Amino acid sequence: MTSTLPAATTNRTTTRPPAGTPAETTTDSTETTQMTAATATAPAPAQETGPAAGAGTAAPRRPRRRAAVERISLALLPRPRATRTDVLLCLGLLTVIMVVQAWNITRFPNLSDDEGTYLAQAWAVQQGDGLAHYTYWYDHPPVGWLQIALLTWIPSLISPDWMTVATMRYAMLPVGAVSAVLVYALALRLRLPRWSAFAAMALFGLSPLSVVLQREIFLDNLAVLWILLAFWLAASPSRHLWHHFGAGLAAAVSVLTKETMLLVLPALLVTMWRHSHPETRKFAVTGAITSCVLVGLLYPLFALLNSELFPGAGHVSLIDGIVYQLSRPGSGSLFEPGTGSHAVVQSWLYYDSVIIYGGLAGAALLVVTHRWSVTARALAGPALAVVILAVVVTRPSGYLPAMYVIQALPFLALVLAAGAASVTHAVLRRRRPGREGIPQRRAVTVARWTAAVALGVAAVAVVAPTWYQGNKTALTEDANASYRAAVAWMGREVAEPADTRVLVDDAVWLDLVHQGYEPGTGVIWFYKADLDPAVTETLPGGYRDIDYVVSSPTVRRDAVDLPIVKDALENSTPVAVFGDGEDRIEIRRIAGGDR
Amino acid sequence: MLTAAFIVVVSLALFWMAAFTLWWQMHAWRTPEVLAATRFGRPDGEAKLSFSLLVPARHEQAVLEHTVSRLLRSAHGDYEILVIVGHDDPETAEVAERAAARDPERVRVITDTHEKKNKPKALNTALPHCRGDVVGVFDAEDQVHPELLAHVDHAFRTTGADVVQGGVQLINFHSSWYSLRNCLEYFFWFRSRLHLHAQKGFIPLGGNTVFVRTEVLRQAGGWDPNCLAEDCDLGVRLSSEGRKVVVAYDSEMVTREETPGSLLALLKQRTRWNQGFLQVYRKRDWRRLPGFGQRMLARYTLMTPFLQAFTGVIIPVNVLAALFLDVPVGVAVFTFLPLLTAAVTFVFEIVGLHDFGIQYGLKVRFVHYLKLIVGGPFYQVLLAGAAVRAVWREQRGRNEWELTSHVGAHLSREDVLR
Repeated sequence: MTSTLPAATTNRTTTRPPAGTPAETTTDSTETTQMTAATATAPAPAQETGPAAGAGTAAPRRPRRRAAVERISLALLPRPRATRTDVLLCLGLLTVIMVVQAWNITRFPNLSDDEGTYLAQAWAVQQGDGLAHYTYWYDHPPVGWLQIALLTWIPSLISPDWMTVATMRYAMLPVGAVSAVLVYALALRLRLPRWSAFAAMALFGLSPLSVVLQREIFLDNLAVLWILLAFWLAASPSRHLWHHFGAGLAAAVSVLTKETMLLVLPALLVTMWRHSHPETRKFAVTGAITSCVLVGLLYPLFALLNSELFPGAGHVSLIDGIVYQLSRPGSGSLFEPGTGSHAVVQSWLYYDSVIIYGGLAGAALLVVTHRWSVTARALAGPALAVVILAVVVTRPSGYLPAMYVIQALPFLALVLAAGAASVTHAVLRRRRPGREGIPQRRAVTVARWTAAVALGVAAVAVVAPTWYQGNKTALTEDANASYRAAVAWMGREVAEPADTRVLVDDAVWLDLVHQGYEPGTGVIWFYKADLDPAVTETLPGGYRDIDYVVSSPTVRRDAVDLPIVKDALENSTPVAVFGDGEDRIEIRRIAGGDR
Repeated sequence: MLTAAFIVVVSLALFWMAAFTLWWQMHAWRTPEVLAATRFGRPDGEAKLSFSLLVPARHEQAVLEHTVSRLLRSAHGDYEILVIVGHDDPETAEVAERAAARDPERVRVITDTHEKKNKPKALNTALPHCRGDVVGVFDAEDQVHPELLAHVDHAFRTTGADVVQGGVQLINFHSSWYSLRNCLEYFFWFRSRLHLHAQKGFIPLGGNTVFVRTEVLRQAGGWDPNCLAEDCDLGVRLSSEGRKVVVAYDSEMVTREETPGSLLALLKQRTRWNQGFLQVYRKRDWRRLPGFGQRMLARYTLMTPFLQAFTGVIIPVNVLAALFLDVPVGVAVFTFLPLLTAAVTFVFEIVGLHDFGIQYGLKVRFVHYLKLIVGGPFYQVLLAGAAVRAVWREQRGRNEWELTSHVGAHLSREDVLR
């Protein structure tokens, strides 16, 4: 049990790895460092850049057997190191991503109700009003909008009026930037070749689906950043105990940011298992699980300290919050047209079918080739994440939110890029005859490269039109003109905003707050009128105590189950209408009101 | 507000203390490379150094013969054994003389005539008689591996070290709840933490399986006869002089020992060590360490027993204060930070126990893990008790001889049941 590692160890305690550890000795040659898993699907002797080659003291090569499939341990592959080229490539691509994501960010996509909710709660945190300006009811852990509060803190000091959904979308750009860089860095750590890492980052940052969703102030985008950090740490080439511990911490923060990230944790565990060393694995993995669980437990602890862990009369509770989330009405099966789930998935496919179908195909390829492809084993974690997330989508019923796909995007991008790398490798290198220095037949080489180039061209031909269309919309369309006009009208036409009571959806709530409406009871999240007893109490006359309703599609959709809102809509007349059709925004004045 | 601020400050201090201790405790498992480097290098077959092995024995007639005969099985070719016996201890002397008569080339008997006896005096008595290049120290009940000397020889030659510290491991974890924790303490100390100390250039040496170049030891003036932790003191003095210390741990090569036989014996042993640490701290040799970080590490390490006692008491108090005094929830969450570190430490101890079982081929059962967890707080109380007792004794000037005669120290193991 004393010498599983090479014998040539010094007996000093030193941070230098012992001579003969393949991971270290191979880094001498830059050639070797460039060598990546994806180009090593089968350990052919012709691979001069194989792990043992640079060592000098390497064990003698076994003669090649065609049929035998040898498994290369990940630990034997050279350590990935980012070079200057990587940094330049990454920064170049990042600039493009940032321009595409930032351009027209305030006008597209539609301001969403959820964005308004989180930003308003972040605003409440900044105001020192606790975790929300209405009673915090454990709908989500608050870590997400605490981060939003931090991100928007300095801008909001410069100009408090900037604290609106459209403007603060800019605060999501750094989040997207860090995530994109992490995708590249993670791809390198998972030993994908450089071009493939580049492709993963491009897919993640430039897919129209990404561009649309990453612009929005969603908790999922923050959770993605943290889970990517966790994966990046889990795949740390130094296999450091505290890196793995840190991965657990980052994963916990990710889950506390958006609880659906729980689904991805098994995939993180697989990544950590794969990338840890057998000798230190049990400490590393237990450390990571411990740190993750302990930090995760802080949330129930917080509820306990507030005496809000268990349900009880007269107060909210964490258990109630969880029960609500788990019992949300299902949106039906994805395979039945007409259901909510089907519509949501269709909307994803509308923006970018390439990353979704391609990612699924990539995951399938990696799962199938798991036995003999080093790439597949290195990417086991991301592939598993895709599989889990896909399986959950296909369950027959259950609630499927539109932003669900956000947490899948980095993994879809990674497995798609890895699948492409695997295929390329198979085309270019697999069963390559001859030893190093002895060229193979020119015709074969030409055929291989022709095939590779053809595949590349085909890929671009498929991707380019979809992406062009999707991103063109994102860069040019103005989807929020009606909202802006409605908000402007409310600021211009209402004489005494401080004494006026308005039902609005969350997306424009902060805009009205800045115009002087009283936050909470003057300008009201429409559903709070019915659902929050503290607000209902201030409306003894029901809809008659309200002056205006800013009726957006969300308000009209949800009013069905909300008596006061429904009454208010039915007993009011439009005084201004912006846009037309389903998406129109109406400002309605309550008819029978006592004002 | 003041209470809240106070609680936050105390919590953060406790958190960082526990975090640092944990960080150092886990040193060996940081990366696979670090773990590999903590082991002995494989000897190349040529032994060059000669060894003088000192075995102080006092009322050890029952085990001494076995220990010496085991030492004589060493695979190394060039060594002598010096058994040090007291002039007032004829039984042990008789066993020693018998061994010397059987192998006069290898074994000699040195008689210590000091009126009041302790281990450093015995070692100092033998030092002038050492003929080897390297002096090694073993206790009379130690089970020493036959390959050890060859490995140590190799370590000295390949690293140019002045001191080589081998591993010592308590083995009888199944004897009682406290022996379980005691074994694990040794495991983390010799398997992991000591390597960090060697790397940082400040190391409190262990009491046996420690090897020092003879001329270095003579220049340093041998052991401090007045110190209750002469081993720790020697390490601190040698590191302060910039001597190179190398630590190696191999589960096959460790010197195996057993825990004190009763709680009281453990308490007394720990009191003596703590008092010894306090003495070393007050001797201020560590102030000559060149680096600021080294001095801080020395300060912290020598004070650890007392910090440990302090934290053991203050963590629960802190949490209770947060729960029952009216402080904001945000502040209350802070008080749980030290508890989190404690939980992480617990988990790593469980994994450590598992690893210990594997390394030594011992069967660790579920009940042992249970004992480890349940016994944790009680062991903490024991450590705190020993620390308080040590401070109290040191304050009252009840050090050295009085204590030694009470506790029995290394030399007389009458209170160490087997």
